[in-house]
Amino acid sequence: MTAETTPPAARAPAGPRQLARQRRRASLVRFWNRYRSHRAGLLGLALLALFALAALTAPLTVGPDVASVTEAPGRPMESPSGDFPLGTDRFGRDLLGLLIWGTRVSLLIGLLAALLSVVIGALVGITAGHFRGVYDTVMMRVTDWFLVMPTLVLAIALATVMSRSLGTIVLAIGVTSWPTTARLVRAQTLAVESRPYIERAKALGGGHRHVMSRHVLPNVMPLVLAQATLIISSSILAEATLAFLGLGDPTVVSWGGLLQEAREAGAVSSGDWWYLVPPGIAIAVVALAFTLCGRAVESVLNPRLGVAR
Amino acid sequence: MTADAVSASVVESGGAALAAPPDRGPRRNRAAYLRYGAGKLGGAVVSLLAVLVTSFFLFRLIPGDPVKTMTGGRQVSAAQLASYRREFGLDLPLWQQFTDYCGKALTGDLGTSYQFRAPVIDKITEALPNTLLLTVTSFVLYTALGIFLGTRAAWRNGGPGDRLNTGLALALYSIPSFWLGLLLIIVFSVGVGPVPGLFPTGGMESGGETGFAYVLDVAHHLVLPVVTLVAVEYGQTLLVTRSALLDEMGGDYLTTARAKGLRDDLVRRRHAVPNAMLPTMTLIFVNLGRTVAGVILVETVFSWPGLGGLFYQALSVPDLPLVQGLFFVFAAAVIVMNTLADLLYPLLDPRVGR
Amino acid sequence: MNAHDRRSRENRSPRSGTVRLLATVLTLAAVVPAPSALAPQRASAADGDKVLTVAVAQSVDSLSPFLASRLVSTSIHRLMYEYLTNYDPKDAHPVPALATKWTPSADKLTWTYTIRSDSTWSDGRRTTAEDAAWTFNKMMTDEGAATANGSYVGNFEKVTAPSPTRLVIELKKPQATMAALDVPIVPKHIWEKVGDFSDFNNDKSFPVVGNGPFVLTDYKADSYVRLKANKNFWRGAPKFDELVFRYYKDQDAAVAALRKGEVSFVAGAPALTPAQAQSLKGVKNIRVNEAPGRRFYALAVNPGAKAANGEKFGDGHPSLLDERVRHALFTAVDRTTLIDRVFQGHAVEGEGYIPPRFSTYFWKPSASQKLAYDPAKAAQLLDQAGYRKNGDGKRVGKDGKPITYRILCHATDPNDKAVGQYLQEWWSDLGIGVQLDCLDNVSDPWLAGTYDLAFDGWSVNPDPDFVLSIHTCGALPATPKDVGATDNFICDKKYDDLYARQLAEYDPAERANIVKQMESRLYDLGYMNVMAYPNAVEAYRTDQIKSITTMPEKAGNIYGQDGYWSWWSAVPASADSSSDDSGSTGVIAGTVGGLAVVLGAVVFFVMRRRAGAEDRE
Repeated sequence: MTAETTPPAARAPAGPRQLARQRRRASLVRFWNRYRSHRAGLLGLALLALFALAALTAPLTVGPDVASVTEAPGRPMESPSGDFPLGTDRFGRDLLGLLIWGTRVSLLIGLLAALLSVVIGALVGITAGHFRGVYDTVMMRVTDWFLVMPTLVLAIALATVMSRSLGTIVLAIGVTSWPTTARLVRAQTLAVESRPYIERAKALGGGHRHVMSRHVLPNVMPLVLAQATLIISSSILAEATLAFLGLGDPTVVSWGGLLQEAREAGAVSSGDWWYLVPPGIAIAVVALAFTLCGRAVESVLNPRLGVAR
Repeated sequence: MTADAVSASVVESGGAALAAPPDRGPRRNRAAYLRYGAGKLGGAVVSLLAVLVTSFFLFRLIPGDPVKTMTGGRQVSAAQLASYRREFGLDLPLWQQFTDYCGKALTGDLGTSYQFRAPVIDKITEALPNTLLLTVTSFVLYTALGIFLGTRAAWRNGGPGDRLNTGLALALYSIPSFWLGLLLIIVFSVGVGPVPGLFPTGGMESGGETGFAYVLDVAHHLVLPVVTLVAVEYGQTLLVTRSALLDEMGGDYLTTARAKGLRDDLVRRRHAVPNAMLPTMTLIFVNLGRTVAGVILVETVFSWPGLGGLFYQALSVPDLPLVQGLFFVFAAAVIVMNTLADLLYPLLDPRVGR
Repeated sequence: MNAHDRRSRENRSPRSGTVRLLATVLTLAAVVPAPSALAPQRASAADGDKVLTVAVAQSVDSLSPFLASRLVSTSIHRLMYEYLTNYDPKDAHPVPALATKWTPSADKLTWTYTIRSDSTWSDGRRTTAEDAAWTFNKMMTDEGAATANGSYVGNFEKVTAPSPTRLVIELKKPQATMAALDVPIVPKHIWEKVGDFSDFNNDKSFPVVGNGPFVLTDYKADSYVRLKANKNFWRGAPKFDELVFRYYKDQDAAVAALRKGEVSFVAGAPALTPAQAQSLKGVKNIRVNEAPGRRFYALAVNPGAKAANGEKFGDGHPSLLDERVRHALFTAVDRTTLIDRVFQGHAVEGEGYIPPRFSTYFWKPSASQKLAYDPAKAAQLLDQAGYRKNGDGKRVGKDGKPITYRILCHATDPNDKAVGQYLQEWWSDLGIGVQLDCLDNVSDPWLAGTYDLAFDGWSVNPDPDFVLSIHTCGALPATPKDVGATDNFICDKKYDDLYARQLAEYDPAERANIVKQMESRLYDLGYMNVMAYPNAVEAYRTDQIKSITTMPEKAGNIYGQDGYWSWWSAVPASADSSSDDSGSTGVIAGTVGGLAVVLGAVVFFVMRRRAGAEDRE
């Protein structure tokens, strides 16, 4: 962390903006160079790129019609064949197409939930660390309270309380997974704010807003990024879990939803592995990819963690 | 694998936040420790009360009139509905329901289940041993396995053994537990090809067995759910143990110890491992608390007659007293375990002179 | 572990070496399964008793016949207690059970039942008319005891037992259903000791005294329900010695258990899925039993919820009050596709309200009356009704907003979700939006009338009175605050008149005729559109059950019959197959091995740690 925050050696005369930009670019390059040395991290990144590509090109490769039940091309629960490499689902839809189409929802929910979680966490963490005092105590009590809540139980409860939609799932995951981020960000904020240049900024008339957004935020950003990557991984698992428990939107195709459908259709006892195995593998691979990236990012930021190199 | 199974690395870095090691002061003398312990216990009591409050109000948000649901489909007059409301205390203002609930809860009475018409505490004590059997068995196994493999991975940091170990742990850790459970059922219960269906497909007992046969029968039913839980959970312990150990192995005192001429494995066992156990300890306790709630999924897949299934049934009614009671139990498990970790932490720290 | 490590450890602590050896041996023992483990397990106890094991999923709500309303519980009560009458397995007409004869008086208001004298409670006492009278009187006077079956005694004026073999029921109004009182008769001498009927669950002391074909001997919530054959049952003892309902919350697990022989029978809740049925067909020793179902599966329309006092509530879409709209919607539902795709042939296309299985009451629309699948006609009907498409191709309501209907669906029913997706696509072609509201528990919006359409289905009894009664105005709640017996707030004068006529009609043929007219009226109203009659799809092991009575006897179902015929009549397969217990022993041996390994590993680990601790300087 120290590397990023060391005031840059004055080189060519440049405006403070430009200076900041240069400094950021340099640290980004440095970050990438170190990240590159983590083979597992690179593997994760490659896998993610692959899935992102599949999700983004899905409208071209499979198209939204793949999810239509009335236009289903096959018979229900066909085993894999030339026409349907992964067989068909209970409606006779192409499972490979659904798997690709489902990437969109699963990734989207993972990203949105992680975003929500990280935003809440960062907001609570930065403000608590910045304002301290009673506000800090109260916020940390709340955080601790969320920390001891059984997350799955709380998420199930929330999903039951609200209507069944993607928004509900995002909210249920986001609202229950932020406390760890908040604690980490708070600690980091305290560390940053103890540095002399913050004092200087304050003396120069920088308000709370200025200090938090201009100085603290950029410094906790790498940490937040690492957290986000890791939370996406658990969010994708959580989405699958909630969908599997029947709390998802049944009209939306997602990996967890496919697993739930497979189970309801009796694929387990019928041995229809093609209905059950691919979505599970997809979930596991994406979750793993995000975890690998997150660990690599973490170990770049804090080499003492001793993550596999 | 659930939302609450925070990613391994999050815990690795956040473990300290979960149960921060107490400041050095309390370790010095008994009085300080007692003060510290009292503070932690006080905090736990406050948390438990907070959970009690939450469990009461959170589930009141579930749309629906429990009394109408209870009598669903039957013709019931407004007068009868009112009498049901009186019976379950639902006619009182919310604050009064709340104080009644708290008052009774303190005496161990969590109300009467709407759907089973039995005391909530009875329903919970009926299912709790089953959940504990599953949880504790898996917990012991995945903790032992995690620590064992984590230590080995750290010995061989960077080597092929470490890579394989850590990689496998991460991969298993990314697998949805319910999915793994389903696959295990297909392979080891139903049987695939030459693999015979060795284990029961679900439930906890066949019924009708007694004595030793009963113990065996339950053990037989226990295998697949336990394997599922161990597979998805041990990775976290492994990773934490490993990184804690790597941290320790960089320590100067190890170099000193080695310089004294102690053998490598002795150095590890006597110095590195005990110290590295600290962060692991924290995680272990947090895990035990969380597994109680995290087991919901596995219970669902394996038809295990535990708290998870009960919670799910209760939530769909909504059987408010039962839901509240269960939620309280789940959260209390985490709080109690966290507090235990906090209390034991200074006692276990080997750096304290004994 | 490298060699160096191992040597040094063994030198210090020989014990840990022994443990390691032990662990290795045990590992081998666990990895190699005993050959006998390959044989299918038998559902039997060790003492050679013939046990019939049934896989169930539904939790018992209560074992008290005064409280229980779930199918699993009432089925168990059928086995535990004898009712006044039973239904013939062939055609479901009422046959003698506890009562041997029943006759109405000339004014139709007094029914006299002759109670058999050869039925005894399992504690040896004789069952008398006094027990029956006490049961009914309890339900009439104690609100707690009326919880489950109170509706049966609503029209009772007085119940007396002038002699041990004579039961007299006086009615307020004539009632045609007096041979179909599905009320378990309980032993007075046991139950009069119960204080509060509203929270007595009858599950504390076993065996539970009863007089049915089986006696309840043990129950563990969500694990099992055990019943022993009642050797003194008046109709003759059951052939199996024991009947066990074992819990499988997951239907796939139940099917797998059947494949392995852990259970003898799987009913599915409510039926095996097409994939499961398909995979079980042709498996050795397993028979898939498919029968016309007793349920109908319908699309109910909210007719504007209202109470008996005329007060309206709920928020059903106003356009649905137009009969043309309702007909248009149903005309756009391709029932053939639903049967083919969703049910994959395991259902019959819906026609009238009562399933064809009850041939006496089955009715189907004439060709001109029928709302056959015809999307073009549906569009035309909507145009006629004034709901035209706007620029975006969406039909707009009278309020100028595009129409979107909320369909209430059961989150636990895969068919609801599947059919819902078809409706969504068919109706969007019509220009109508669909929002699928899937809930675990639909009763709240249902009772509050806050839905537009809903998936609906009822199990029909041999006597159709109940399923007909739920669409009468009399079933509406008295005020919006009450809960009525009504299904979906239908209230139609013509239908009500017919209902009153059939209830007072004691001539079976004429009554059936009136019932059919009611079904016709219901069809035309378009508030209750039957899409399908799902089949009962269940399976059992022929190497455990040699024969079993289905109901109706020809191509009927087994689980959830009206009566105890299936379990009472089931004949065990050959004697040797039910006493083979070696399979499970082998598997258990494997398990023990596996657990021992684990234990060994733990001990091993602990010892290592301890060894380290001892050496600490």
